[in-house]
Amino acid sequence: MNKLIVALVAAVSWAAPALAEVRIGIIVSATGPAASVGVTQQRTVSVLPPKLGGQDVRYILMDDASDTSTSVTVARKLIAEDRVDVIVGPSLTPNSLALLDIVAETGTPMISLAGSALIVEPPVDRRRWVFKTPQSDAQMASIVLDHMKRRSIKSLALIGFNDAYGEGWIKVMTALAEAAGIKVVGSERYQRTDSSVLGQILKITSRSPDAIFIAASGTPAALPQTTLADRGYKGVVYQTHGVANNDFLRIGGKNLEGTFVPAGPVLVAEQLPDSHPAKAAALDFVRRYEAIPGAGARSTFAAYLWDAQLILDRAIAAAAVKAQPGTDAFRIALRDAIEATSDVAGPNGVYNMSFTDHLGLDERSRVMTQIVNGGWRLVP
Amino acid sequence: MTADIAAILLQDGIANGAIYILLATVLVLVFTVTRVIFVPQGDLVAFTALTLAAFDAGTIPGTVWILLFGAAIALSLEMLEAVARRDRARCVRSIIQFGVVPVAVALLAVLLVPKDAPLLWKMAVTCALVTCISPVIYRIVFQPIASASPLVLLIAAIATHLGMNSIGLQVFGAEGVRTQGFSGPPLSFAGQLISQQVAGVVASSIVLVFVLYLFFHRSLRGRALLAAAYNRRGAEIVGISAAAAGRTAFIVAGLVGAVSGLLVGPMTTLYYDSGFILGLKGFVGAIVGGLAIYPLAAAGAVLVGAVESFASFWASAYRDIIVFMLIIPILFWRSVVNPHAEDGIE
Amino acid sequence: MIGRLLALAPFIAVAVAALASLVLPAYQVSVATYVMIASIVCTGLVLMTGIAGMVSFGQAAFVGFGAYTSACMSTQFGLSPWLGLAGATIGAAATAALIGVVTVRMSGHYLALATLCFGISFYFGIGNADAFGRFNGMTGIPPVTVGGFELRSERQAFGLVLVALVLSVAWCRRLLASRCGRVLRSLRTGSTIAETFGANAQRHRLLAFVAAAVVAALAGWLYAHVQRFINPTPFGLNASIDYLFMTVIGGSGQVWGALVGAGLVTVIKHELQDLLRPVFGATARFELLVFAALMIIVLHKARKGLWPFLQQVVASHMPPRAPVAPVTLTSRRGRPDQGLPVLTAIGLRRMFGGLVAVDDVSFDVRSGEILGVLGPNGAGKSTLFNLISGGLQRSGGELSFLGAPLARVSARDMCVRGLSRTFQHAALVPEMSLIENVAIGATHLGRCGIVAASLGLDAREERQLLGWAQHLLDRVGLGDRAWELAGTLSLGHQRILEIARALAADPVLVLLDEPAAGLRANEKTLLAELLVRLRAEGLAIVLVEHDMEFVFRLADRLMVMNFGRRIAFGDPEEVRADTGVQEAYLGVAA
Repeated sequence: MNKLIVALVAAVSWAAPALAEVRIGIIVSATGPAASVGVTQQRTVSVLPPKLGGQDVRYILMDDASDTSTSVTVARKLIAEDRVDVIVGPSLTPNSLALLDIVAETGTPMISLAGSALIVEPPVDRRRWVFKTPQSDAQMASIVLDHMKRRSIKSLALIGFNDAYGEGWIKVMTALAEAAGIKVVGSERYQRTDSSVLGQILKITSRSPDAIFIAASGTPAALPQTTLADRGYKGVVYQTHGVANNDFLRIGGKNLEGTFVPAGPVLVAEQLPDSHPAKAAALDFVRRYEAIPGAGARSTFAAYLWDAQLILDRAIAAAAVKAQPGTDAFRIALRDAIEATSDVAGPNGVYNMSFTDHLGLDERSRVMTQIVNGGWRLVP
Repeated sequence: MTADIAAILLQDGIANGAIYILLATVLVLVFTVTRVIFVPQGDLVAFTALTLAAFDAGTIPGTVWILLFGAAIALSLEMLEAVARRDRARCVRSIIQFGVVPVAVALLAVLLVPKDAPLLWKMAVTCALVTCISPVIYRIVFQPIASASPLVLLIAAIATHLGMNSIGLQVFGAEGVRTQGFSGPPLSFAGQLISQQVAGVVASSIVLVFVLYLFFHRSLRGRALLAAAYNRRGAEIVGISAAAAGRTAFIVAGLVGAVSGLLVGPMTTLYYDSGFILGLKGFVGAIVGGLAIYPLAAAGAVLVGAVESFASFWASAYRDIIVFMLIIPILFWRSVVNPHAEDGIE
Repeated sequence: MIGRLLALAPFIAVAVAALASLVLPAYQVSVATYVMIASIVCTGLVLMTGIAGMVSFGQAAFVGFGAYTSACMSTQFGLSPWLGLAGATIGAAATAALIGVVTVRMSGHYLALATLCFGISFYFGIGNADAFGRFNGMTGIPPVTVGGFELRSERQAFGLVLVALVLSVAWCRRLLASRCGRVLRSLRTGSTIAETFGANAQRHRLLAFVAAAVVAALAGWLYAHVQRFINPTPFGLNASIDYLFMTVIGGSGQVWGALVGAGLVTVIKHELQDLLRPVFGATARFELLVFAALMIIVLHKARKGLWPFLQQVVASHMPPRAPVAPVTLTSRRGRPDQGLPVLTAIGLRRMFGGLVAVDDVSFDVRSGEILGVLGPNGAGKSTLFNLISGGLQRSGGELSFLGAPLARVSARDMCVRGLSRTFQHAALVPEMSLIENVAIGATHLGRCGIVAASLGLDAREERQLLGWAQHLLDRVGLGDRAWELAGTLSLGHQRILEIARALAADPVLVLLDEPAAGLRANEKTLLAELLVRLRAEGLAIVLVEHDMEFVFRLADRLMVMNFGRRIAFGDPEEVRADTGVQEAYLGVAA
């Protein structure tokens, strides 16, 4: 009997009235295979501002252990128990896709931190509530392709992770390269924890491509390049923005010299021309992030969370005028406000969202950089 | 595929296979003595490389805290038991084993390894740290359930691995390391250039297999350990303590794990969670050897390495499918030839 | 009162669960849903690992198989999820049968590794297949509809999963209590018991493998339509390990263990994040470490898992099982007339490498007689038993049973022909009740298979078989302990139980391997009386025994062996007088 009463009380309190603070649920992959991505975002939470849009904010951080089922239960918990007004995350594409139904059915806006355009396109039905801050794979790929065309590269080989990250990139790169008349002569996969990629590298170098594109993230992306250097490959090597951290530079060492890396402006914030709209936001983020003990150098993944915070800052201010945080009306207002985001400059670019575009980044969201003398250099 | 490429792939496969041999032999060793499939062996290998990298970076490796934390638990467990039995000799022994030795090694690591210390010295301290962890694991996790079924022991081993993974991520971070190796000009062998590191790994694997084989099949102490595995009660009657046998096996496992980590570290990037997949491939080799026969386990390990290398070349996306599907007929054949594993795991 | 409550516990639990789903917050309901889905998978693993002794590292792949089959059918062909369910389970059964044909022949670790191989292959196969959305997975899977109504919310999904869980648990329990189930439960001790009593161990292993796969596919189907998004991650190696983990932690020997294990592991994993946040702070991740420590503690305190641990507490309150009415089955085969040979062996030989274990042994056994076999340890008696009963193949010689020559003897075939036996080292299923152990003996007398058992069509036959077992227990004097566990019997009584089991097979000839060892004097007398009565009923009995007095009192004829050879054969008094016997065996110098 007592239990029943407890349960009833719980059920009643669950339907309690609005709260004074805005609650933001953050889901990152801080453990498991994607930990190298999630850990940087997890750290960033400690420097997020305590007030957004003039409202007190409480951040509730959850780790999904890189697992989709956990993402789902964690999201349900955030929505049902913590009654969050918005979810930021998850860090991974499949995990974000897994939440589409839940956020749509419960009417909770979500700003994903994952790469694939599948998450927000098309922004109707289930995706009406979903936004994202990272540049989509296609946007990033197009700057690589432009760069390749300028260097008159005729043939290209791809090697990437045998997972969602590698797959997303390889798919879009293959399509864009063929459209641009660049021949894709090889497409190989490897795993994050592999101790050797010699087989794959031998295969693609045997076709002597002008350029090789590596679709991997973090330190594991250094392995193919080390092997390429061992095999004496002389062509151009491209990496993705997923490698943008100091550990990658440390592991790869000299073998990385000359590699091209497309990235958000934040990676080379100091080198941006003062006229670049993202420069101020990027420098601000870098200053705060690099001050976190043990954080090391900036991470573009961490910056996506910062972008989300900047978008929310504006949107919460707009939504708070219309409704009390913690109510359905507030979440609807917040969703509309996020969709109306215009000219928010974050470390990764300028966001202009709309009914048809739930990402809202343009060409100012990406730059081409090159690894020179063990550091990142902006390629004009 | 040209013969040239085939030769390079084979060399790569053997180099990888040699890593798996190091793991496979330890798995066989630990299993024959304790019936534990020691899943965390791979973690020890990875932790070694991460520890050495931390010394290189001039920081105190997290291994120190892992060792002290674990030793404290092991010591308190052991003391509780010894005091309950009023066994003074055991008290003293356990204070030395789980108190004095780990603290001494930890102090050594904290105080006496400057960033610019010679590589060999760093390696020695790394080795000592990792070797000390292994008997601590045995004491905490396996000794109390030494007579349980292999399935229960396996689940305990997996739990241990999960725990080590969790600590590993905390103390070493998510990114990988590549340690310094023995540099030197590549050796020329049968028209192929072979790096000294690879040659070193291959040579030590062969030596290890040979030594273990001799130890278990030729020496009295080795046979005694095996006897302890087959019949615990019987072994205790003739004066072989199963606990001591298990501890010995785990110390050897720790030592071999540490040495493997030092050997493998410069060949590839190791992460806090690299251990599992290395261990898995080693496990495949060990099973091919029926978890009993060292040379066969080694052959299995090399086979896995070689198939992996060729499969990477042919169809990299499907590599693991190819590797693991090719194993099944071998398993089938081994199972028919060696059905003694009948009561195997349950 | 407590006893009656306990008997109703499963029903109460279901009712409470159903009620709870109405009042609990949505999040708890959705966690409970995942717990139940995992429980379903673990139920299958109990069947396969805990009961039949096959460890699987690939169970998540079958979950994935079910999920992907149904997801594919419903999203790409627009079929109803219910058709998807049919596709998922039938497909999984077929696939498992195909894989199982190869793998269940393997033993121990080989089998475990083989399942791991399939599991990993499935993961990468799905991850690289365009039709399944590769690593990014499949979105937009429709929810299950009942009568045109979509089960979309957490609570509705909970109801659906609860029904599925109840059905799978009920099915597994019914299966385990059946004729096939008893054979399955004997498999953990090896194939010997099953094969000795006429059951095909391999086929039963396959059955467990397939059943586990079907249950896993059902769980996968639920997962796909409840979550409405799938990708390969939840079906990889780690997930398989998780399921195995849950099963062992819960107690792999019993179906309830699956529920306890899945519940505990899932809830701990979900709640630790919140519980540990105040301890380690928001950014330190020690959940897995704490989880691992908890699991190791559980294994230390309850090696067989949590359920058996809980059961000890509950057991004393459980009401005793109702006794089964004894049934006397009339023998299906005509017994040969008194005094006619049942088994004839001429020149039997068996070599192990260069060693001759049985050398040129000839003898016969007649119906209605007790043939005593004597000989020192290592004389070849047990080998001889194995040659006759099909445990070993002979290297030479002739063997005929009831006049039919036997080219190759298999244990299963011999059982059907009318030979049954006991073992020198008692081979019983300790976790099974006495009556069920005896009923294993009668396996080949029944006809009902897994389908009949699933549908409950085997009730009549079960009454017959269990009644028959009860009758035999009564005969050997263990009738009032029918529902106790065989593992609790003394060594002597275990041998008696084996005799009852041997008789349950309706034999013409029984081989008794040291049946009197470990019995007290009065128990020996009772055993002797039983054997005399059996002899009077026309049974042929071969008796290996070390208790000379016992043998000489009972045996009609005696055979003495030494070094694998027959050194004397005939009337007990003649044998006793034989100088060779005295010298070689009785230790008396001639």
